[in-house]
Amino acid sequence: MKLRAVQIALVIIVQFSLAVLTQNCTAPPAPSEVNKALAQDQDLWRAGASFFAADEYENYRNMLVQARKVYEKEELKVGYFRNYELVKKEFAVVIREGERIQSLIEIRKETLSGEILKEKTDLYSRYETLDNLSLEINQRGLSRKNLAQVDVMFKEAERLMKRAKYEEARAKLKAAGSLLNQAELILKKQLERYMDLQQIAYWRKLAQQAIEKSRETGETAILVSKLEKKLTLYKAGLRVQVYNIGLGFNGLSDKLHAGDDATPEGEYTVIRKVSPSSFGKALLINYPNEQDIRKFNEAKKRGYITASTRIGGLIEIHGGGKDGLTKGCIALDDREMEDLFRRIPVGTQVTIVGTTDPNNKIISMLKKENR
Amino acid sequence: MKNLMRISVLGFLVVFLFASCAKQPTQQIDEAKAAIDAVVKAGGNIYAKDELKKLNDDLKAAMDEVNAQSKKLFKKYGPAKEMLAKVKTDAEAVQALIPARKEEAKNNALNAMNEAKAAFEEAKALLAKAPKGKGTKADIEAMKADLAGIEAQLAEVQTAIDGEDYFGASEKAASIKEKAGAITEQVKAAIAKVKR
Repeated sequence: MKLRAVQIALVIIVQFSLAVLTQNCTAPPAPSEVNKALAQDQDLWRAGASFFAADEYENYRNMLVQARKVYEKEELKVGYFRNYELVKKEFAVVIREGERIQSLIEIRKETLSGEILKEKTDLYSRYETLDNLSLEINQRGLSRKNLAQVDVMFKEAERLMKRAKYEEARAKLKAAGSLLNQAELILKKQLERYMDLQQIAYWRKLAQQAIEKSRETGETAILVSKLEKKLTLYKAGLRVQVYNIGLGFNGLSDKLHAGDDATPEGEYTVIRKVSPSSFGKALLINYPNEQDIRKFNEAKKRGYITASTRIGGLIEIHGGGKDGLTKGCIALDDREMEDLFRRIPVGTQVTIVGTTDPNNKIISMLKKENR
Repeated sequence: MKNLMRISVLGFLVVFLFASCAKQPTQQIDEAKAAIDAVVKAGGNIYAKDELKKLNDDLKAAMDEVNAQSKKLFKKYGPAKEMLAKVKTDAEAVQALIPARKEEAKNNALNAMNEAKAAFEEAKALLAKAPKGKGTKADIEAMKADLAGIEAQLAEVQTAIDGEDYFGASEKAASIKEKAGAITEQVKAAIAKVKR
């Protein structure tokens, strides 16, 4: 009787085991939604979900955890009893949410990219203005160096944008903006006189006086406008000829001492005609005049320049080409210099001003930049 | 009655033993976390971003399992231990990958820097040879200042490499190379202007 019971028990166990094994083998496969959602999570993360849609992504992750729990619970069941319908539903909801977040990321990326692009465009416009200004005034100093660095930074920002590293691109643009500000300060400091309407009015007065004097005496007069890079020849108050000129690195500044590469401003006279000179024909002017000497002494007294600094001299209107860089002289192309040389007698009045135009190009450029 | 008492006590003891013997796998948790920390410390955030994300996800799943078990009367930490052990093994494998990737990034950055330097030197040499003739002197001086700006940026590439910011260094070096190339073209144009 006892043996019989054991036999029956064994048969039941074997049958049960076989049934379990068979059912496990025929258990339905895991729904494809599970792996799809897991891959989607990885894709979302790679796309920057935690940055572009932080709250939504956190919620999505919680939904994913819940769905996984439902799936794991189902997995614990014997194959025959597994029903993935609920799992499928749960994961389908997760996937839909993931797709929504994906579109959200795209939209936010596009918005951010647009914002950064606008920042870059605005900065680049400022850069172009300042770059043109620095070239215009032959700047070779710190501002030019800064501008070159800014250009490199723009290129870096572009690269970062292409790789969707928006925050890094933004940081790079911020650094570029800071360098641009420095460059602008340097340039503005150099050019502030050209934006000062009182200073311009003074230059205009000087120019008008020179023309008036030429009219009264019937003599020739030279008017040099440094910003416009023009030398105008007057005879009896009438404009006879206009020549293009070149200056030095610091040509737009008013000369104070030897070696500053600045071109003097004020009223001068041609004191000697030099032919040949080191630069073709030349007209030597009487720099330093009394006013220059006064200004120089005052600067020395105030300690703006060292005691050993000299005032300099030998400022000429000469040939050699208007595109050459002078140390303070005014350069013309040789052919034009020969023409001017022929027309100018010793004693001709030379008036050198910064500009006579209250709407000069510096003001226009900086106005454009400020816009 | 006495028997019933004995059985109850015995049953309680068995339950107590089952419940108390299954302790939280704190050692495995610590080891897995330490392994991930080591990946981060080795630069995983930069050189193994995807892998690090997966490790953190796996650790979270393992911790969820630990938490779920800790709330049960009959705790079964076996699967959680396996998950934690896998996290640790995977983290060690990821950590092992990083030095090679870092080295590769470093080599790329060094190559990019050398290319940028070569482009800079080429522009500089060409500029030195450029005739400062009519129409070019001002341009050449401006380009010299531009090159000085590039040189300052080149120094920053080295700083980035020294700071192990290899990707940043590569980006900067590539941008410098581009700018130096543009200057070389400008110098060539200036030279051609003189020849005309």
